[in-house]
Formats: sequence, C-alpha cells, structure tokens
Amino acid sequence: MSVDRNVVIDAMSQVKSESNDEGLIPAFNVLVTQAPTSRWNNFADLITNSVDPELKPAAEALLENAAHECGYHTGYGIITSEEFDAICNPMIQNPPEDVLHAAFAVFTAWGWAKSEVVELIPGEKMVVRAYDYYESDVVQRGTLNGPCAYMIQGVSAAFMDLAYGGEYDPSGQTGMRTFKCEQVKGIECGDEYGEFVVTLAG
Amino acid sequence: MSTEQLTQWVVDHKFDRDTCRHSVNGFDAVLHCHHYASLYCQLADDAESFNGSHLLQRSSELSFYDVLSDYFTKHNVQNLDERVALTEEYWKTCGFGTLKFDHVGELSAAAHMDHSHVDEGWIKKWGKRDKPVNFIGQGYVAAAMAAIYGLPSGSYNVYETDSIVAGADASRFSLVRS
Repeated sequence: MSVDRNVVIDAMSQVKSESNDEGLIPAFNVLVTQAPTSRWNNFADLITNSVDPELKPAAEALLENAAHECGYHTGYGIITSEEFDAICNPMIQNPPEDVLHAAFAVFTAWGWAKSEVVELIPGEKMVVRAYDYYESDVVQRGTLNGPCAYMIQGVSAAFMDLAYGGEYDPSGQTGMRTFKCEQVKGIECGDEYGEFVVTLAG
Repeated sequence: MSTEQLTQWVVDHKFDRDTCRHSVNGFDAVLHCHHYASLYCQLADDAESFNGSHLLQRSSELSFYDVLSDYFTKHNVQNLDERVALTEEYWKTCGFGTLKFDHVGELSAAAHMDHSHVDEGWIKKWGKRDKPVNFIGQGYVAAAMAAIYGLPSGSYNVYETDSIVAGADASRFSLVRS
C-alpha cells in the first residue's frame, strides 16, 4: 500500500465547507451539510428503539441503505475531486486497491470514523476497523446487545461498489449494492474497535 | 451606504488528530450529503405506524437545541433580536438553507426558508412531492424558538404550511407554544 494515511488525514481534515448565499454547500457533486453528530445519532437511536422488535432489522437496514447511497454518490464525488487528485492520486500506484486505502483515509479525515482497511481481497472481500466513531456515542454507559454503526456499514459496502462494482452510475441503478457489509464488532458493544466485513452481495 | 452586520455566528472549528473527530463550538460535527438526508426523511415518512416523521423532527430539535442554548450561554447573548438572528445564521452556516423568522412571540411565531437543503436535495434525488418532507427543518425551528426564549426543548408545536418540495416558492412554518 503506497498511500501515506497521515499525509492524507493531515491535508484532507483541513478542507473547509462554507455555505453559499442560498445557505447551501455544493461540494463533491452533492449538497452537503455540517451538522452535529447527534443530529444523525438521535434519529437512528430513536427509530430503532421505537419500532416493534420484529421490525428493528428492517429499520436498521434502511439506515444502512441511507449511508450506502450516500457513500456511493459522495464517495464518487470525493475520489474524482480536485482535492483527491492533488493529495491522494500522486500516491496511488495500484488502483483500485490504493484508492480504497486513500478513501478510508479521507473517511477518517472528515470525522466519519477513524478507520482503515486491514484486509483486502480484490473484488471479493474487505475488512475495515474503526477505532473511534461517532455512531458509538449513543451508548454513554454500559454496552449494546448488537452493533449500531449503520453509517460505516453502508459506506464501506459503497466504497467496494465503487472499486469493483463497475462503472459509476449516477442513477444508482447499476453498480450500487454489489457488496454488502456486516458489522462484527463494535465499540458500542464493548469491543476495543468496530470491525466491518464487506463481501459480495451475491 | 454599508450595513453593519450586528450578529454573526462564530464558528470555532477544531480537528482532534487523536480521535480524528471534528467539532464545531464544542459539539462533534460531521459532513453528510443530500442523499443521506433524503433517505433519512424518506425512512421517517414511511414509518407512519410509529410516527417516524415526529421522531426525526424531535431528534433534530434535541440536537440543535443543545447547540443553540450552549452558544447563547457561552457568548452571553441575551437580546431577543440577536438570538433570532443567530439562529438564522447558524442554520445557514450548517448548509441547511436560509431561514428567516417573520415574527416571533413567546406564544407563537412564523418562519420561512427560501432555500432548503432537505427540499432541494429531495427534488434533486426524486423530484417534487405533494407533502412536506423537511422534518429536520421543522425540528430546527422548534429548537430555535425554545432556545430563544430559554424554554425547555419541546415547548413549541411546529407546522409546515408550505413546502418547496411541493412547488411553493418558500417553505413556511407556523409555531405555537405547546
């Protein structure tokens, strides 16, 4: 892996988002917001704990899907951006694997999760570890019975879609959801880190 | 003649290199796109059986109420006009659009958004629809009113009476003390 994560994190963490006169932030081919992490955590926590227990997996799947689409479209915007081109592309020798490593360095730099790829079988499987992530903040004392990092799950699968799922499709009809992700460890469950296993959707 | 801006939302943005988290004015903050917001709103809207739209509104209200109240305390903002202006400014700073309160009183208020991240993002993704979808914005204006008057979160009921997503020129919100 030729990507220097520290260089990427130091540079990309300084990228600023400022709203225009319309109060909007167009960036990376999408509109973005910079909101408190609790804005997203609160809803995930409330909705997964408000549904009937038999419907909880469906609610969790929809939360993950929101991140999957976000990760697919915003992820593409990131890896085709001027910033990525200037900072990451000079380090990339072996695409798309190096692009994935760089994408998780950006993912880290922007505060989504302090994460890295720890195992990668091209076109088949990726394992990501996250050592700090805001989604675990829903637990302030004690542990959960099951993990709740829906955003990292969805984005991890989406990044594999972008790497190995074929040409980017702005409509999302093809290319997206060729991979799925399972969270097998979580800080919110008492583990030292979160672990995310991405495999072919089959 | 130049016009002096009396109030400006001060952004204290930090990046913690150890945890790799961003914070704005002491609150962890994160970038997300309109796809994410749209799908959260769709999930909330679909979850009619357990009032998902209210949950998204409430989750927004709880989050933003803390930020606004903390800011007023730390910066010792007591003046009503300044508080109103700051809630409008903060919404814009976050990238959620433009917010303007038309009138503010302790028992009722009205506000509008000429631009809305949620509405315009939804239209960009799926096109228009006939019902409001800005549950995040509804929660924000309720949080703003409670923070402006130093009342507990949940002190105002909010109704979105016009929506950009439904073709209106602006989204309009009516608030009543609960």
